[in-house]
Amino acid sequence: MDSEQQAQTTAPSGEFEREPVPKSALLGFKSFVGMYAGEHCAGTELTLGPLFVAAGVGAFDLIVGLLVGNALAVLSWMLMCAPIATRARLTLYFQLEKICGRKLVVLYNLANGVMFCFLAGAMVTVSATAVGVYLKFPMPELTDIFPNSVGWVLAVAVVGGLIAVVAAYGYQTVARFANVAAPWMVLVFLAFGLVGLRQFIDATGIEIKSAGDLWHLASTQMWDGGDPQPGKVKFTFWHVMFFAWFCNMAMHIGMSDLSVFRFARKSWYAVASAAGMYVGHFMAWISASILYAYQLHLDPTDNAVLPGPLAYRAAGVAGLICVVIAGWTTANPTIYRAGLAFQALTPKTSRFKVTLITGAIATVAGMFPAIAMKLLEFVALYGLILMPMGAVIFVDFWLIRRFGLESSYAEKSGRLFNWAAGAAWGVTLVTAYLLVKYARIQIYFVSLPGWFVAAILYIVLSKYYQKKVRPTAAKA
Amino acid sequence: MRLALRIVSILSLTGLILPSVLFLAGRTDLDRTKWLMLLATIVWFVTATPVMWKEPSEPDKEEVIVP
Repeated sequence: MDSEQQAQTTAPSGEFEREPVPKSALLGFKSFVGMYAGEHCAGTELTLGPLFVAAGVGAFDLIVGLLVGNALAVLSWMLMCAPIATRARLTLYFQLEKICGRKLVVLYNLANGVMFCFLAGAMVTVSATAVGVYLKFPMPELTDIFPNSVGWVLAVAVVGGLIAVVAAYGYQTVARFANVAAPWMVLVFLAFGLVGLRQFIDATGIEIKSAGDLWHLASTQMWDGGDPQPGKVKFTFWHVMFFAWFCNMAMHIGMSDLSVFRFARKSWYAVASAAGMYVGHFMAWISASILYAYQLHLDPTDNAVLPGPLAYRAAGVAGLICVVIAGWTTANPTIYRAGLAFQALTPKTSRFKVTLITGAIATVAGMFPAIAMKLLEFVALYGLILMPMGAVIFVDFWLIRRFGLESSYAEKSGRLFNWAAGAAWGVTLVTAYLLVKYARIQIYFVSLPGWFVAAILYIVLSKYYQKKVRPTAAKA
Repeated sequence: MRLALRIVSILSLTGLILPSVLFLAGRTDLDRTKWLMLLATIVWFVTATPVMWKEPSEPDKEEVIVP
Protein backbone atom coordinates (compact mmCIF):
# COMPACT_ATOMS: atom_id res chain seq x y z
CA MET A 1 0.00 0.00 0.00
CA ASP A 2 0.59 3.18 0.45
CA SER A 3 1.13 4.24 1.25
CA GLU A 4 0.47 4.70 -1.16
CA GLN A 5 -1.02 7.30 -0.14
CA GLN A 6 2.56 8.52 -0.49
CA ALA A 7 2.14 9.39 -4.10
CA GLN A 8 2.10 13.08 -3.53
CA THR A 9 5.21 13.09 -1.39
CA THR A 10 7.59 14.00 -4.14
CA ALA A 11 5.05 15.58 -6.39
CA PRO A 12 5.47 19.27 -6.80
CA SER A 13 3.60 20.92 -4.02
CA GLY A 14 2.78 24.45 -3.10
CA GLU A 15 2.52 25.30 -6.78
CA PHE A 16 -0.56 26.02 -8.85
CA GLU A 17 -2.80 25.19 -5.91
CA ARG A 18 -5.64 27.35 -7.17
CA GLU A 19 -5.00 27.40 -10.90
CA PRO A 20 -4.47 24.82 -13.66
CA VAL A 21 -0.92 23.62 -14.07
CA PRO A 22 0.58 25.48 -17.06
CA LYS A 23 2.20 23.64 -19.98
CA SER A 24 5.63 24.83 -18.91
CA ALA A 25 5.39 22.84 -15.66
CA LEU A 26 4.28 19.52 -17.11
CA LEU A 27 6.38 16.44 -16.37
CA GLY A 28 7.54 13.53 -18.51
CA PHE A 29 6.72 9.87 -18.06
CA LYS A 30 9.93 9.01 -16.17
CA SER A 31 9.03 11.23 -13.22
CA PHE A 32 5.90 9.23 -12.54
CA VAL A 33 7.60 5.83 -12.83
CA GLY A 34 10.16 6.81 -10.18
CA MET A 35 7.53 8.34 -7.96
CA TYR A 36 5.26 5.29 -7.92
CA ALA A 37 8.00 2.63 -7.85
CA GLY A 38 9.54 4.02 -4.67
CA GLU A 39 6.44 5.01 -2.82
CA HIS A 40 4.47 1.80 -2.83
CA CYS A 41 7.18 -0.15 -1.06
CA ALA A 42 6.18 0.93 2.42
CA GLY A 43 6.58 -0.47 5.90
CA THR A 44 3.01 -1.67 5.91
CA GLU A 45 3.74 -4.07 3.02
CA LEU A 46 5.57 -6.16 5.64
CA THR A 47 2.30 -6.53 7.52
CA LEU A 48 -0.09 -6.88 4.59
CA GLY A 49 1.79 -9.80 2.97
CA PRO A 50 1.70 -11.92 6.14
CA LEU A 51 -1.96 -11.07 6.75
CA PHE A 52 -2.85 -12.76 3.44
CA VAL A 53 -1.25 -15.94 4.77
CA ALA A 54 -3.03 -15.51 8.11
CA ALA A 55 -6.25 -15.35 6.08
CA GLY A 56 -5.55 -18.82 4.69
CA VAL A 57 -5.03 -17.74 1.10
CA GLY A 58 -4.21 -20.31 -1.60
CA ALA A 59 -1.29 -19.92 -4.04
CA PHE A 60 -3.44 -19.45 -7.17
CA ASP A 61 -5.77 -17.04 -5.39
CA LEU A 62 -2.85 -14.96 -4.16
CA ILE A 63 -0.75 -14.81 -7.31
CA VAL A 64 -3.56 -14.43 -9.86
CA GLY A 65 -5.63 -12.28 -7.50
CA LEU A 66 -2.74 -9.85 -7.11
CA LEU A 67 -1.98 -9.84 -10.84
CA VAL A 68 -5.58 -9.05 -11.75
CA GLY A 69 -6.30 -6.70 -8.83
CA ASN A 70 -3.19 -4.63 -9.44
CA ALA A 71 -4.00 -4.45 -13.16
CA LEU A 72 -7.45 -3.12 -12.27
CA ALA A 73 -5.84 -0.56 -9.95
CA VAL A 74 -3.56 0.63 -12.75
CA LEU A 75 -6.54 0.83 -15.13
CA SER A 76 -8.44 2.85 -12.51
CA TRP A 77 -5.61 5.38 -12.43
CA MET A 78 -5.45 5.42 -16.23
CA LEU A 79 -9.14 5.56 -17.04
CA MET A 80 -10.74 7.33 -14.10
CA CYS A 81 -8.23 9.59 -12.38
CA ALA A 82 -5.66 10.68 -14.97
CA PRO A 83 -8.09 11.69 -17.76
CA ILE A 84 -9.73 14.21 -15.42
CA ALA A 85 -6.37 15.29 -13.99
CA THR A 86 -4.87 16.02 -17.41
CA ARG A 87 -7.95 17.91 -18.59
CA ALA A 88 -8.68 20.01 -15.51
CA ARG A 89 -5.07 20.14 -14.19
CA LEU A 90 -6.31 21.08 -10.71
CA THR A 91 -5.51 19.73 -7.26
CA LEU A 92 -8.02 17.38 -5.70
CA TYR A 93 -8.86 20.01 -3.11
CA PHE A 94 -9.49 22.81 -5.58
CA GLN A 95 -11.56 20.51 -7.79
CA LEU A 96 -13.57 19.42 -4.76
CA GLU A 97 -13.99 23.00 -3.59
CA LYS A 98 -15.50 24.00 -6.93
CA ILE A 99 -17.96 21.11 -6.77
CA CYS A 100 -18.66 20.74 -3.07
CA GLY A 101 -17.84 24.06 -1.46
CA ARG A 102 -15.17 24.98 1.02
CA LYS A 103 -16.95 23.66 4.14
CA LEU A 104 -17.46 20.21 2.68
CA VAL A 105 -13.79 20.14 1.70
CA VAL A 106 -12.92 20.87 5.33
CA LEU A 107 -15.02 17.87 6.35
CA TYR A 108 -13.24 15.76 3.72
CA ASN A 109 -9.93 17.00 5.11
CA LEU A 110 -10.92 15.91 8.58
CA ALA A 111 -11.84 12.40 7.41
CA ASN A 112 -8.62 12.19 5.41
CA GLY A 113 -6.52 13.42 8.34
CA VAL A 114 -8.03 10.92 10.77
CA MET A 115 -7.41 8.03 8.38
CA PHE A 116 -3.84 9.21 7.76
CA CYS A 117 -3.28 9.33 11.53
CA PHE A 118 -4.27 5.70 11.98
CA LEU A 119 -2.30 4.64 8.92
CA ALA A 120 0.77 6.39 10.32
CA GLY A 121 0.09 4.57 13.59
CA ALA A 122 0.33 1.24 11.77
CA MET A 123 3.65 2.36 10.26
CA VAL A 124 4.98 3.26 13.71
CA THR A 125 3.88 -0.19 14.89
CA VAL A 126 5.89 -1.78 12.07
CA SER A 127 9.05 0.14 13.00
CA ALA A 128 8.63 -0.62 16.71
CA THR A 129 8.63 -4.37 16.07
CA ALA A 130 12.27 -4.01 15.00
CA VAL A 131 13.14 -2.60 18.44
CA GLY A 132 11.67 -5.66 20.10
CA VAL A 133 14.13 -7.98 18.36
CA TYR A 134 16.97 -6.69 20.53
CA LEU A 135 15.15 -5.58 23.67
CA LYS A 136 13.12 -8.80 23.94
CA PHE A 137 9.97 -7.30 25.46
CA PRO A 138 6.68 -9.12 24.79
CA MET A 139 5.29 -8.03 21.44
CA PRO A 140 1.66 -8.12 20.29
CA GLU A 141 0.00 -11.30 19.12
CA LEU A 142 -2.19 -11.60 16.03
CA THR A 143 -5.41 -11.29 18.02
CA ASP A 144 -4.28 -8.53 20.38
CA ILE A 145 -6.27 -5.32 20.39
CA PHE A 146 -4.65 -3.50 23.31
CA PRO A 147 -0.94 -3.05 24.08
CA ASN A 148 0.30 -6.12 25.90
CA SER A 149 3.44 -4.93 27.68
CA VAL A 150 5.09 -1.84 29.13
CA GLY A 151 8.10 -2.50 26.90
CA TRP A 152 5.90 -2.38 23.80
CA VAL A 153 4.28 0.89 24.87
CA LEU A 154 7.67 2.46 25.57
CA ALA A 155 9.13 1.25 22.27
CA VAL A 156 6.21 2.68 20.27
CA ALA A 157 6.35 5.91 22.30
CA VAL A 158 10.06 6.38 21.56
CA VAL A 159 9.84 5.41 17.87
CA GLY A 160 6.62 7.35 17.27
CA GLY A 161 7.87 10.33 19.26
CA LEU A 162 11.06 10.50 17.22
CA ILE A 163 9.15 10.19 13.96
CA ALA A 164 6.75 12.95 15.02
CA VAL A 165 9.53 15.34 16.10
CA VAL A 166 11.50 14.72 12.91
CA ALA A 167 8.36 15.18 10.78
CA ALA A 168 7.67 18.49 12.54
CA TYR A 169 11.23 19.77 12.26
CA GLY A 170 12.58 18.32 9.06
CA TYR A 171 9.96 16.84 6.79
CA GLN A 172 12.00 17.68 3.68
CA THR A 173 15.11 16.01 5.07
CA VAL A 174 13.31 12.73 5.65
CA ALA A 175 11.66 13.00 2.24
CA ARG A 176 15.14 13.25 0.70
CA PHE A 177 16.38 10.37 2.82
CA ALA A 178 13.39 8.32 1.66
CA ASN A 179 14.45 9.05 -1.89
CA VAL A 180 17.92 7.62 -1.15
CA ALA A 181 16.52 4.59 0.65
CA ALA A 182 13.91 3.64 -1.99
CA PRO A 183 16.05 1.58 -4.43
CA TRP A 184 17.84 -0.15 -1.55
CA MET A 185 14.55 -0.96 0.16
CA VAL A 186 13.02 -2.51 -2.97
CA LEU A 187 16.00 -4.88 -3.25
CA VAL A 188 15.86 -5.80 0.45
CA PHE A 189 12.20 -6.72 -0.02
CA LEU A 190 13.21 -8.90 -2.97
CA ALA A 191 15.97 -10.48 -0.88
CA PHE A 192 13.37 -11.35 1.79
CA GLY A 193 11.50 -13.40 -0.80
CA LEU A 194 14.60 -15.14 -2.19
CA VAL A 195 15.93 -16.05 1.26
CA GLY A 196 12.50 -17.16 2.44
CA LEU A 197 12.11 -19.38 -0.60
CA ARG A 198 15.42 -21.12 0.06
CA GLN A 199 14.52 -21.56 3.73
CA PHE A 200 11.30 -23.24 2.63
CA ILE A 201 13.15 -25.52 0.23
CA ASP A 202 15.57 -26.55 2.98
CA ALA A 203 12.86 -26.99 5.61
CA THR A 204 10.59 -29.13 3.42
CA GLY A 205 13.27 -31.03 1.54
CA ILE A 206 11.37 -30.51 -1.70
CA GLU A 207 13.70 -30.46 -4.70
CA ILE A 208 13.07 -27.69 -7.18
CA LYS A 209 13.99 -28.76 -10.69
CA SER A 210 11.20 -27.14 -12.64
CA ALA A 211 8.53 -24.48 -12.47
CA GLY A 212 6.11 -27.27 -11.62
CA ASP A 213 8.15 -28.17 -8.54
CA LEU A 214 8.16 -24.53 -7.46
CA TRP A 215 4.40 -24.31 -7.89
CA HIS A 216 3.99 -27.52 -5.90
CA LEU A 217 6.05 -25.99 -3.06
CA ALA A 218 4.08 -22.74 -3.24
CA SER A 219 0.65 -24.35 -3.30
CA THR A 220 1.24 -27.06 -0.69
CA GLN A 221 3.59 -25.37 1.76
CA MET A 222 3.61 -21.57 1.46
CA TRP A 223 0.04 -20.71 0.55
CA ASP A 224 -1.83 -23.95 1.03
CA GLY A 225 -5.27 -22.37 1.20
CA GLY A 226 -6.03 -23.92 4.58
CA ASP A 227 -8.08 -22.53 7.41
CA PRO A 228 -7.45 -18.91 8.35
CA GLN A 229 -5.87 -18.01 11.68
CA PRO A 230 -8.33 -17.42 14.57
CA GLY A 231 -10.29 -14.21 14.11
CA LYS A 232 -9.38 -13.88 10.42
CA VAL A 233 -11.70 -14.03 7.42
CA LYS A 234 -10.88 -16.72 4.86
CA PHE A 235 -9.41 -15.08 1.74
CA THR A 236 -10.36 -16.29 -1.73
CA PHE A 237 -9.34 -15.07 -5.19
CA TRP A 238 -12.06 -12.42 -4.97
CA HIS A 239 -10.83 -11.09 -1.65
CA VAL A 240 -7.28 -10.77 -2.95
CA MET A 241 -8.36 -9.22 -6.25
CA PHE A 242 -10.67 -6.66 -4.67
CA PHE A 243 -8.17 -5.84 -1.94
CA ALA A 244 -5.35 -5.26 -4.44
CA TRP A 245 -7.68 -3.16 -6.59
CA PHE A 246 -9.13 -1.07 -3.80
CA CYS A 247 -6.30 -0.73 -1.29
CA ASN A 248 -5.31 2.50 -3.03
CA MET A 249 -8.90 3.35 -3.86
CA ALA A 250 -8.61 6.76 -2.23
CA MET A 251 -5.87 7.57 -4.72
CA HIS A 252 -7.33 6.35 -8.03
CA ILE A 253 -11.12 6.02 -7.89
CA GLY A 254 -11.18 8.40 -4.92
CA MET A 255 -9.24 10.89 -7.09
CA SER A 256 -6.54 11.93 -4.56
CA ASP A 257 -3.98 11.52 -7.32
CA LEU A 258 -5.58 14.26 -9.37
CA SER A 259 -2.97 16.36 -7.57
CA VAL A 260 -0.22 14.14 -8.98
CA PHE A 261 -1.40 13.59 -12.55
CA ARG A 262 -2.32 17.24 -13.13
CA PHE A 263 1.39 17.49 -13.98
CA ALA A 264 1.28 14.64 -16.54
CA ARG A 265 1.56 15.58 -20.19
CA LYS A 266 -0.66 12.66 -21.22
CA SER A 267 -3.23 10.69 -19.27
CA TRP A 268 -1.64 7.38 -20.25
CA TYR A 269 1.33 8.31 -18.01
CA ALA A 270 -0.81 6.82 -15.24
CA VAL A 271 0.39 3.43 -16.47
CA ALA A 272 3.48 4.36 -14.41
CA SER A 273 1.46 3.35 -11.35
CA ALA A 274 2.12 -0.25 -12.48
CA ALA A 275 5.70 0.20 -11.28
CA GLY A 276 4.40 0.81 -7.77
CA MET A 277 1.75 -1.86 -7.90
CA TYR A 278 3.91 -4.71 -9.17
CA VAL A 279 6.92 -3.80 -7.01
CA GLY A 280 5.15 -2.91 -3.78
CA HIS A 281 1.82 -4.67 -4.01
CA PHE A 282 3.00 -7.81 -5.76
CA MET A 283 6.68 -8.54 -5.16
CA ALA A 284 6.87 -7.01 -1.66
CA TRP A 285 3.61 -8.59 -0.46
CA ILE A 286 4.63 -11.98 -1.79
CA SER A 287 8.10 -11.71 -0.23
CA ALA A 288 6.71 -10.71 3.16
CA SER A 289 4.09 -13.44 2.97
CA ILE A 290 6.80 -16.05 2.32
CA LEU A 291 8.61 -14.98 5.51
CA TYR A 292 5.44 -15.34 7.55
CA ALA A 293 4.50 -18.65 5.93
CA TYR A 294 7.96 -19.94 6.85
CA GLN A 295 7.45 -18.82 10.44
CA LEU A 296 4.17 -20.75 10.56
CA HIS A 297 5.87 -23.73 8.93
CA LEU A 298 8.46 -23.79 11.72
CA ASP A 299 5.88 -23.35 14.47
CA PRO A 300 2.18 -23.30 13.55
CA THR A 301 1.33 -21.73 16.91
CA ASP A 302 3.67 -18.77 16.31
CA ASN A 303 1.18 -16.68 14.33
CA ALA A 304 2.19 -13.17 15.43
CA VAL A 305 2.65 -10.79 12.51
CA LEU A 306 5.80 -8.95 13.54
CA PRO A 307 7.81 -7.48 10.67
CA GLY A 308 10.92 -6.96 12.84
CA PRO A 309 11.54 -10.61 13.77
CA LEU A 310 10.44 -11.76 10.29
CA ALA A 311 12.96 -9.49 8.58
CA TYR A 312 15.72 -10.27 11.07
CA ARG A 313 15.36 -14.00 10.51
CA ALA A 314 15.76 -13.55 6.77
CA ALA A 315 18.25 -10.72 6.39
CA GLY A 316 19.77 -10.01 9.79
CA VAL A 317 20.58 -6.43 10.74
CA ALA A 318 20.03 -5.20 7.15
CA GLY A 319 16.48 -6.56 7.41
CA LEU A 320 15.90 -4.76 10.70
CA ILE A 321 17.21 -1.50 9.23
CA CYS A 322 14.78 -2.01 6.35
CA VAL A 323 11.85 -2.42 8.75
CA VAL A 324 12.76 0.74 10.67
CA ILE A 325 13.38 2.82 7.54
CA ALA A 326 10.33 1.47 5.71
CA GLY A 327 8.10 2.42 8.63
CA TRP A 328 9.81 5.72 9.29
CA THR A 329 10.03 7.07 5.75
CA THR A 330 6.38 6.32 5.09
CA ALA A 331 5.06 7.44 8.48
CA ASN A 332 6.88 10.76 8.05
CA PRO A 333 4.92 12.12 5.08
CA THR A 334 1.73 10.50 6.35
CA ILE A 335 1.96 12.34 9.68
CA TYR A 336 2.96 15.52 7.90
CA ARG A 337 0.03 15.27 5.50
CA ALA A 338 -2.41 14.43 8.29
CA GLY A 339 -1.09 17.56 10.02
CA LEU A 340 -1.79 19.62 6.91
CA ALA A 341 -5.31 18.21 6.74
CA PHE A 342 -5.97 19.14 10.37
CA GLN A 343 -4.37 22.54 9.93
CA ALA A 344 -7.07 23.36 7.40
CA LEU A 345 -9.50 23.17 10.34
CA THR A 346 -7.46 25.50 12.52
CA PRO A 347 -5.41 27.66 10.12
CA LYS A 348 -4.04 29.88 12.90
CA THR A 349 -2.28 27.00 14.68
CA SER A 350 1.36 26.58 13.63
CA ARG A 351 2.18 23.70 11.30
CA PHE A 352 4.92 22.59 13.73
CA LYS A 353 2.45 22.25 16.60
CA VAL A 354 -0.20 20.53 14.47
CA THR A 355 2.34 18.02 13.13
CA LEU A 356 3.56 17.25 16.65
CA ILE A 357 0.02 16.71 17.93
CA THR A 358 -0.81 14.58 14.89
CA GLY A 359 2.34 12.53 15.48
CA ALA A 360 1.34 12.05 19.10
CA ILE A 361 -2.10 10.78 18.06
CA ALA A 362 -0.49 8.43 15.52
CA THR A 363 1.92 7.19 18.20
CA VAL A 364 -0.92 6.42 20.61
CA ALA A 365 -2.76 4.67 17.75
CA GLY A 366 0.41 2.68 17.02
CA MET A 367 0.43 1.32 20.58
CA PHE A 368 -2.80 -0.51 19.80
CA PRO A 369 -1.85 -3.51 17.69
CA ALA A 370 -5.44 -3.90 16.51
CA ILE A 371 -4.79 -1.45 13.68
CA ALA A 372 -1.72 -3.26 12.32
CA MET A 373 -3.17 -6.72 12.91
CA LYS A 374 -6.38 -5.72 11.14
CA LEU A 375 -4.65 -3.68 8.49
CA LEU A 376 -6.43 -5.45 5.63
CA GLU A 377 -9.77 -4.32 7.00
CA PHE A 378 -8.48 -0.85 7.88
CA VAL A 379 -7.05 -0.21 4.41
CA ALA A 380 -10.34 -1.35 2.85
CA LEU A 381 -12.20 1.05 5.16
CA TYR A 382 -9.82 3.89 4.29
CA GLY A 383 -10.55 3.52 0.58
CA LEU A 384 -14.28 3.16 1.19
CA ILE A 385 -14.57 6.34 3.26
CA LEU A 386 -12.94 8.59 0.66
CA MET A 387 -14.29 6.83 -2.45
CA PRO A 388 -17.71 8.57 -2.66
CA MET A 389 -16.08 11.93 -3.28
CA GLY A 390 -14.22 10.38 -6.20
CA ALA A 391 -17.57 9.27 -7.63
CA VAL A 392 -18.88 12.81 -7.17
CA ILE A 393 -15.90 14.27 -9.06
CA PHE A 394 -16.25 11.67 -11.85
CA VAL A 395 -19.95 12.37 -12.31
CA ASP A 396 -19.50 16.11 -12.05
CA PHE A 397 -16.76 16.13 -14.67
CA TRP A 398 -18.16 13.70 -17.24
CA LEU A 399 -21.86 13.13 -16.76
CA ILE A 400 -23.74 15.83 -14.93
CA ARG A 401 -24.26 18.14 -17.92
CA ARG A 402 -25.89 15.29 -19.85
CA PHE A 403 -28.65 15.36 -17.24
CA GLY A 404 -29.22 19.07 -17.82
CA LEU A 405 -27.39 20.02 -14.64
CA GLU A 406 -24.46 22.31 -13.91
CA SER A 407 -21.00 21.10 -12.97
CA SER A 408 -18.86 22.81 -10.29
CA TYR A 409 -22.09 23.92 -8.68
CA ALA A 410 -20.67 25.21 -5.40
CA GLU A 411 -18.51 27.65 -7.33
CA LYS A 412 -21.39 28.76 -9.56
CA SER A 413 -23.91 29.08 -6.74
CA GLY A 414 -21.43 30.62 -4.31
CA ARG A 415 -22.36 28.00 -1.70
CA LEU A 416 -19.88 26.73 0.88
CA PHE A 417 -21.54 23.33 1.28
CA ASN A 418 -23.08 21.45 -1.63
CA TRP A 419 -25.68 19.33 0.13
CA ALA A 420 -26.14 17.07 -2.89
CA ALA A 421 -22.47 16.03 -2.72
CA GLY A 422 -22.43 15.89 1.08
CA ALA A 423 -25.57 13.73 1.23
CA ALA A 424 -24.25 11.46 -1.56
CA TRP A 425 -21.12 10.91 0.53
CA GLY A 426 -22.93 10.33 3.81
CA VAL A 427 -25.74 8.13 2.44
CA THR A 428 -23.22 5.99 0.54
CA LEU A 429 -21.26 5.36 3.72
CA VAL A 430 -24.43 4.54 5.65
CA THR A 431 -25.48 2.17 2.84
CA ALA A 432 -22.06 0.49 2.93
CA TYR A 433 -22.32 0.15 6.72
CA LEU A 434 -25.77 -1.44 6.43
CA LEU A 435 -24.53 -3.84 3.74
CA VAL A 436 -21.64 -4.93 5.97
CA LYS A 437 -23.70 -5.08 9.14
CA TYR A 438 -26.95 -6.63 7.98
CA ALA A 439 -26.39 -8.11 4.52
CA ARG A 440 -23.12 -9.63 5.77
CA ILE A 441 -21.22 -8.42 2.72
CA GLN A 442 -17.56 -8.15 3.67
CA ILE A 443 -15.97 -4.71 3.64
CA TYR A 444 -13.70 -5.66 0.71
CA PHE A 445 -16.72 -5.91 -1.59
CA VAL A 446 -18.92 -2.94 -0.69
CA SER A 447 -16.83 -0.26 -2.37
CA LEU A 448 -17.78 -1.32 -5.89
CA PRO A 449 -21.57 -1.06 -5.43
CA GLY A 450 -20.85 1.93 -3.18
CA TRP A 451 -19.34 3.85 -6.10
CA PHE A 452 -22.54 3.44 -8.15
CA VAL A 453 -24.68 4.38 -5.15
CA ALA A 454 -22.66 7.59 -4.70
CA ALA A 455 -22.75 8.41 -8.42
CA ILE A 456 -26.51 7.88 -8.77
CA LEU A 457 -27.27 9.70 -5.53
CA TYR A 458 -25.22 12.70 -6.59
CA ILE A 459 -27.14 13.00 -9.85
CA VAL A 460 -30.57 12.51 -8.25
CA LEU A 461 -29.87 14.85 -5.35
CA SER A 462 -28.34 17.45 -7.66
CA LYS A 463 -31.61 17.52 -9.65
CA TYR A 464 -33.38 18.65 -6.51
CA TYR A 465 -30.56 20.77 -5.08
CA GLN A 466 -29.83 22.72 -8.25
CA LYS A 467 -33.53 23.60 -8.62
CA LYS A 468 -33.67 24.82 -5.05
CA VAL A 469 -30.33 26.64 -4.90
CA ARG A 470 -29.88 28.90 -7.91
CA PRO A 471 -26.48 30.03 -9.22
CA THR A 472 -25.35 33.50 -8.19
CA ALA A 473 -25.54 34.80 -11.77
CA ALA A 474 -29.11 33.52 -12.18
CA LYS A 475 -30.14 35.24 -8.95
CA ALA A 476 -28.71 38.51 -10.13
CA MET B 1 34.14 11.90 -7.58
CA ARG B 2 30.42 11.99 -8.20
CA LEU B 3 30.74 9.40 -10.96
CA ALA B 4 32.85 7.15 -8.73
CA LEU B 5 30.26 7.38 -5.95
CA ARG B 6 27.52 6.58 -8.41
CA ILE B 7 29.39 3.51 -9.70
CA VAL B 8 30.15 2.24 -6.19
CA SER B 9 26.56 2.79 -5.11
CA ILE B 10 25.27 0.78 -8.08
CA LEU B 11 27.77 -1.96 -7.28
CA SER B 12 26.57 -1.97 -3.68
CA LEU B 13 23.02 -2.64 -4.86
CA THR B 14 24.37 -5.60 -6.80
CA GLY B 15 26.19 -6.65 -3.65
CA LEU B 16 22.94 -6.34 -1.75
CA ILE B 17 20.89 -8.69 -3.90
CA LEU B 18 23.59 -11.10 -5.06
CA PRO B 19 24.08 -12.87 -1.68
CA SER B 20 20.38 -13.72 -1.49
CA VAL B 21 20.48 -15.06 -5.07
CA LEU B 22 23.51 -17.19 -4.15
CA PHE B 23 21.74 -18.35 -1.00
CA LEU B 24 18.72 -19.35 -3.06
CA ALA B 25 21.01 -21.27 -5.38
CA GLY B 26 22.55 -23.01 -2.37
CA ARG B 27 25.98 -21.48 -3.01
CA THR B 28 26.39 -19.68 0.31
CA ASP B 29 25.06 -19.86 3.85
CA LEU B 30 22.58 -17.57 5.56
CA ASP B 31 25.03 -15.95 8.00
CA ARG B 32 27.32 -14.86 5.20
CA THR B 33 24.31 -13.61 3.25
CA LYS B 34 23.23 -11.47 6.19
CA TRP B 35 26.71 -9.98 6.72
CA LEU B 36 27.15 -9.19 3.03
CA MET B 37 23.73 -7.53 2.94
CA LEU B 38 24.67 -5.38 5.92
CA LEU B 39 27.96 -4.42 4.29
CA ALA B 40 26.20 -3.54 1.03
CA THR B 41 23.66 -1.51 3.01
CA ILE B 42 26.39 0.55 4.65
CA VAL B 43 28.17 1.11 1.32
CA TRP B 44 24.89 2.09 -0.34
CA PHE B 45 23.97 4.76 2.20
CA VAL B 46 27.52 6.13 2.36
CA THR B 47 27.91 6.42 -1.41
CA ALA B 48 24.35 7.06 -2.61
CA THR B 49 23.44 9.72 -0.07
CA PRO B 50 25.80 12.43 -1.41
CA VAL B 51 24.77 11.65 -4.98
CA MET B 52 21.02 11.35 -4.52
CA TRP B 53 20.69 13.99 -1.81
CA LYS B 54 21.82 16.70 -4.17
CA GLU B 55 19.72 15.62 -7.11
CA PRO B 56 16.81 17.94 -7.76
CA SER B 57 13.59 16.72 -6.26
CA GLU B 58 10.47 16.54 -8.39
CA PRO B 59 9.93 18.09 -10.82
CA ASP B 60 13.06 16.73 -12.42
CA LYS B 61 14.48 19.58 -14.46
CA GLU B 62 15.29 17.31 -17.39
CA GLU B 63 11.72 16.12 -17.44
CA VAL B 64 10.04 19.49 -17.47
CA ILE B 65 8.44 20.11 -20.80
CA VAL B 66 9.31 23.55 -22.10
CA PRO B 67 7.07 24.61 -25.01
